[in-house]
Amino acid sequence: MKKILLLLTLVFAASVSAQTDYEKGMTKAFELWKNQKNTEAIQLFERIATAEKDNWLPPFYAATVQIISAFREKDETVLTAKLNKAKEYLDTANAISKNNPEIMITYALLNTAYIAFDGQKYGMTLSGKNVAIYNKALAIAPNNPRVVLSKAEWDMGGAKFFGQPIEPFCKDVKKAIELFKEEKQTTKFYPYNGLERAEKILENCETKSSQN
Amino acid sequence: MKQLLFCLFTISQLSIMAQTTISGKVTDDKGIPISGANVYLDGTYDGTATTENGEFLFTTKERGQQTLIVSFISYETFSKTTFVENFKNINIKLRDDVNTLDAVIVNAGSFKAGENEKVTALKPLDIVTTAGAMGDFIGALQTLPGTSNVAEDGRLFVRGGDAEETQIFVDGMRVFTPYSPTANNIPTRGRLSPFLFKGITFSTGGYSAEYGQALSSVLLLSSIDNPEEDKTNIALMTVGLGIGNTQKWKKNSLSVNASYINLQPYQELFPDNNIWHKSIQSLGGEIVYRHKVNTDGLLKLYGAFSTVNFDVTQEDINTPEGFRFGLRNRNLYFNASYKDYLPNNWSVQTGVSFANDYSDIVIRTDNVKDTENSAHLKLKFSKYFNSRFKLNFGSEYFITNFNEDYSASENKDYNFTFNNNILASFVETNIFFSKKLAANIGLRTEYSNLLKEFSVSPRASIAYKSGNNSQISLAYGTFYQNPKNEYLKFNTDFSAENTSHLIANYQYVKNKQIFRAEAYYKDYNDLVKYNTEQPLPTTIFSNNGSGFAKGIDFFWRDNKAFKNIEYWVSYSYLDTKRDYKNYPIKATPSFASQHNTSVVIKHWIDKLKSQIGLSYNYASGRNYTDPNKSGFLNSKAKNYNALNANWAYLISQQKIIYFSVSNVLGTQNVNGYQFRNQPNTNGVFESRTIKPAADRFFFVGFFWTISDNKKDNQLDNL
Repeated sequence: MKKILLLLTLVFAASVSAQTDYEKGMTKAFELWKNQKNTEAIQLFERIATAEKDNWLPPFYAATVQIISAFREKDETVLTAKLNKAKEYLDTANAISKNNPEIMITYALLNTAYIAFDGQKYGMTLSGKNVAIYNKALAIAPNNPRVVLSKAEWDMGGAKFFGQPIEPFCKDVKKAIELFKEEKQTTKFYPYNGLERAEKILENCETKSSQN
Repeated sequence: MKQLLFCLFTISQLSIMAQTTISGKVTDDKGIPISGANVYLDGTYDGTATTENGEFLFTTKERGQQTLIVSFISYETFSKTTFVENFKNINIKLRDDVNTLDAVIVNAGSFKAGENEKVTALKPLDIVTTAGAMGDFIGALQTLPGTSNVAEDGRLFVRGGDAEETQIFVDGMRVFTPYSPTANNIPTRGRLSPFLFKGITFSTGGYSAEYGQALSSVLLLSSIDNPEEDKTNIALMTVGLGIGNTQKWKKNSLSVNASYINLQPYQELFPDNNIWHKSIQSLGGEIVYRHKVNTDGLLKLYGAFSTVNFDVTQEDINTPEGFRFGLRNRNLYFNASYKDYLPNNWSVQTGVSFANDYSDIVIRTDNVKDTENSAHLKLKFSKYFNSRFKLNFGSEYFITNFNEDYSASENKDYNFTFNNNILASFVETNIFFSKKLAANIGLRTEYSNLLKEFSVSPRASIAYKSGNNSQISLAYGTFYQNPKNEYLKFNTDFSAENTSHLIANYQYVKNKQIFRAEAYYKDYNDLVKYNTEQPLPTTIFSNNGSGFAKGIDFFWRDNKAFKNIEYWVSYSYLDTKRDYKNYPIKATPSFASQHNTSVVIKHWIDKLKSQIGLSYNYASGRNYTDPNKSGFLNSKAKNYNALNANWAYLISQQKIIYFSVSNVLGTQNVNGYQFRNQPNTNGVFESRTIKPAADRFFFVGFFWTISDNKKDNQLDNL
């Protein structure tokens, strides 16, 4: 009995320490990201990705950080280099987890980075692609708050560009907030974030509506 | 029990003690340290980033064979597999990734449009929103340097070459009759509708060995692989109607377009200087079907049908009642292409295109019926060895069967027919020596069944990055083209006409600004000559013609300096002379103008939800022969000037009103002069000025798109 217990303990300890590597790594990477050390964060996510070949989260985050950092980019050479790298990470994540709405909307975010840089050059083809992505993601996961929110943000961006009211999309943001609050957070490191952003957007929506 | 514990303890101790240190230095290929590169053992948590000196140091418990990976943005990822103990003080050189935007581009002679291109002279939207282009993609290309403005013709005249020296290809397959037929002095339009294409490469010389039978230029169009969504387009225009629908399901998509153009109402409102018995009417339809065979394989079928009808009497100085010209044309074009990836980095592209063109022409009292059946078959393989070395090779076969039935008024009937078949093979390599130096080297061979002649054309171009934002390129090639149908129908004892191109290009690209300058020299040989005013069955032909064209083209595009404004400026200088056709001496042909300038400006106004566009074209006067003076092509017509404007107003995201006026100022342009065949009693040849049919052209259209994507509109179709 003792032997079994000991054995069990050892096995458990071993598995705990293996998981710790992942948790330690991810925690550290998030910390780097939070402290604006984007390159280091991306590199750590990349390293974790090669160690955790069946987990879509590390390459997903490597891509996400890369894309977000590309939004401020003014040099097209650097922009495309970053976004090409981000696409590689996303492709890796996508190969592990197919038809994952979180990955799909990140592809759309990647396209948006190009469109934000030069709408004339990239808008014509990529905006059509984004609409297709959002529609597909919404069909797969109609109650995913991030899908609902990012589609609403996209629609608002379009309305603003054409000088049309954004109010019709405020109800989508409200719906996203409800979904965020209902969401059960069960998987560690899953990208549950977005509630704060949604609330900020809604605030903006409401002030605009009350002005009118 | 204790023994077991001890054992386990020892093993764990051992594994701690068995840590291996991995160290080394990462540099670029010039030995300059790279800091911040990601260095790690594949499949482990062990790794680090390089220091400012490019050095790295970390420990690992892993043993045996391991793979060390070094990755850094805009460099090729390095990997090496060996025993872990060997990763000590190793020097790693990262190679530049040649797929980045700042890598050199082999581009002498060509302009590209499309979002996937590294340097885009034209953006996809420009093709259709350029003022004066009237939705014709050929019109937008005429604002690029190297083209000559020939207002009465409308086709592409490139660098001293005439319009038939340019060939157009869709997905690698030739388009045999790309332009709608038209009457004299009325510019033609391209038959292909611009919104079917996602990318355009316009090469004004020195192009790839993959393309032949074009002495001056090739225009390569790639059609959309996969439409994004279902949609319906409706267009109501002052000149006609258009409707289009795209459906998408699973691995297939189908697009159908139909258009009906009738210029009668417009011509009644704004009469021009022709007498129209039947106004230009055209009916056209297009179908595109795309099928994804597997993850990479894509089959595309494209079919287009169009008819054009008109009957007109035009002023003619030698015929007081005017010159009557009537035409009924029917054109069918079909294009199928398939591309797929094969194992081991091979890929295959194959296709077939077929065109049937039938024209029934009435010239005064004579009747001409022309039938042309043409086909193009092609098979091409590509091998991707690595990002620095690619090989393409393939073969193609062109078939043309031409038949003309000519019934003259005196009840005399003639028939002219020929088959012009050509077999061609090509091979080409794309080599990157480094991020700064690259070359394309190719060879093309052709055998013409009709001429019983074999030709070999070498092609080479090389590009060197001379600074952070600048590069220089050189290109050389020889090009062959069989004589035109209008000669071949009377005589087939010819050699192919040929030319060589030598091109030097300088390009500077920085943050949404492009400057390029390109100088060229073209040497024409074996051009067709004949001894009559027009080619006739009795004409004596030869290949004794020759000529040259040289010049320099400048292009400047700026999307940055002014907010919400994009503009570009083109200037071309051309010096050309040839002795061909029935020229008695070497002379500058009447289609060539020495100076050509275009300025295009687009301004987006948020408040008005409008895009306003202006374009200005200038071409210096072109030659004509004045029989009252001695010599040939001895006079110059006046310069050509036109200012065009357009205004696209977004009523809502999916409804657009579009206004366009060509030649706003109504400048009186001259297309040339016509002289009497006989002098008058004073011995003077009287003349008349050939003016454009109308000075201005107005266009108003309403475009409505119905789709799930509320942002989609037809701004890109205008």
